[in-house]
Amino acid sequence: MANPELTTPPLRRGYDPTGLLAHYRRECHRFFRLWRQTLFPPVLTATLYILVFGKSLGSQIREVDGFPYIQYIFPGLLIMGVINNAYANVATSLYVARTELFIQDLLTSPLSYFEMVLAYIGGSVTRGLTVAMMTAVVGFLLTGTLPAHPFLFLITIFCVALLFASLGTIAALWATSWDNVNMFVHFIITPLTFLGGVFYSINMLPEPFRTASQFNPIFYVINAVRYSILGKSDVSYGLAMALLAPLAFAGFAFCVHLFRIGYRIQS
Amino acid sequence: MPDGPAIEIEDLRKRYRGLEALEGISLRVEQGEFFGLLGPNGAGKSTTLGILTGLVRRDSGRADVLGLDVEKHYRTVRRYIGLATQEFNFDRFLPIEDLLTYQGGYFGLSRSRARGRARELLDLFGLTEKRRETIRSLSGGMKRRLLIAKALVHEPPIIILDEPTAGVDVELRHMLWSMLEDLNRKGTTVLLTTHYIEEAEALCKRVSIIDHGRIVTTGSPAELIARETAGTIEITLDGPLTSVPPELASFGPEIDGARLSLQVREPSRRLGEALAVLQRNGQLIHDVRMREANLEDVFIHLTGHPIEGRDGQS
Repeated sequence: MANPELTTPPLRRGYDPTGLLAHYRRECHRFFRLWRQTLFPPVLTATLYILVFGKSLGSQIREVDGFPYIQYIFPGLLIMGVINNAYANVATSLYVARTELFIQDLLTSPLSYFEMVLAYIGGSVTRGLTVAMMTAVVGFLLTGTLPAHPFLFLITIFCVALLFASLGTIAALWATSWDNVNMFVHFIITPLTFLGGVFYSINMLPEPFRTASQFNPIFYVINAVRYSILGKSDVSYGLAMALLAPLAFAGFAFCVHLFRIGYRIQS
Repeated sequence: MPDGPAIEIEDLRKRYRGLEALEGISLRVEQGEFFGLLGPNGAGKSTTLGILTGLVRRDSGRADVLGLDVEKHYRTVRRYIGLATQEFNFDRFLPIEDLLTYQGGYFGLSRSRARGRARELLDLFGLTEKRRETIRSLSGGMKRRLLIAKALVHEPPIIILDEPTAGVDVELRHMLWSMLEDLNRKGTTVLLTTHYIEEAEALCKRVSIIDHGRIVTTGSPAELIARETAGTIEITLDGPLTSVPPELASFGPEIDGARLSLQVREPSRRLGEALAVLQRNGQLIHDVRMREANLEDVFIHLTGHPIEGRDGQS
């Protein structure tokens, strides 16, 4: 006969977020513990870009769209950090959990597939937002820039982090080696970011490059952030967010779908 | 907790890229039972456990835990189960205490309760001194203990262990056995897979023998031995035997000079009868040896091959 006292903690009435929070904390704990590798480098990189491109080379460049060059490039530098970190956090964490099999702990737990993805992506978004805030402080100290639309700034950063965390999740599930995980960064994210107008306005480009830039999704990302910080951009903020926000949430939903069907995590 | 069997599987099938891993297995494990799945590597044991715990998707068939379908009600079902996998699956960057604490959190334990439970288990498994160290500083035996501790964090009513003593030394094996028996005595249902005959005989109240994705037979070890195989009585006589007394014809006799081998079920009960027949026939008995059958004999009898080394493994 079974011992009636031997039962797992009873299901609480209503929604119980304990499991979700446990995994979210674990994800955040990982990157905060490794802050020298996760939080410090993107801020240092942004600082160096500001010093090299802004302070030294920037003094040779005329104003862009009415802003000193150093201020003009700052939103792009900030969002580069967000993109790379939101992507890298979940891509690394989930890929290692998959290949070293400890994702089994999560898969055999009572968390729903939605919660599993929410915790992974939540950790990544948190890292992206943390990097954004730290870079914003450095940007304020070095360039005196403060977001013109703080609320839009937060919403935009959140959507960007969500989009690239979703991409990181997809990459971690699909990848069969570290090369695959890094391939997205080296061959897709970095080139599109540099060509998306971090360092220039597309108004400075000749045709056909100006038109071609409008097919680059990261162009809209950079311009949405630029608008939220400087109040000015190459495309309207509404159009940029109308593309970015649905894509970010669709990416998240696709990740939940992949977990639900057990894509490369269940046999 | 719901009534009914702890685990009920019916016509469960799973195929991996053309390989039929499970060919319609059925079994039932009662609440509070100590049940073993005995079979060689590749027989389908881990696939069965994987389907019950959420690591493997079935192709068809039924798999219920405490009356709930394992896929439809996966969240509730997973709360009832603690799983110790065969492979070590640890986050090698986390101290082992944190690892158990997060595991408790997944199952709904508050942070303080999960931390307390982690410490309790580390103490129980003799790992307290290592609590702030990562998995890299643990020996193989310690890792095996930690795997079982991880399965017990949320005090599940059912624990499922995949080859829990694979690769451990005899001393640790016996320690783990006594721990599992203790848990079972307190009411926990235990389902384990093993390819160690001795383990299945020592621990399991009932055993299913599984081979090539099929359940070959199920019963208590004693029942299976009595039902499926014969033991051996080997009698050495004073001189060569030319013919077997007709009363021993049903004993499956074989003569080799002065040695007479008898194949019988429950040889210890039939020994007296065999000796009496020989004495009545004027035979002088020089030596008697007896070997009871074991689960290995049952396995060979039913599958035609030994449990270990079928495919060169284990």
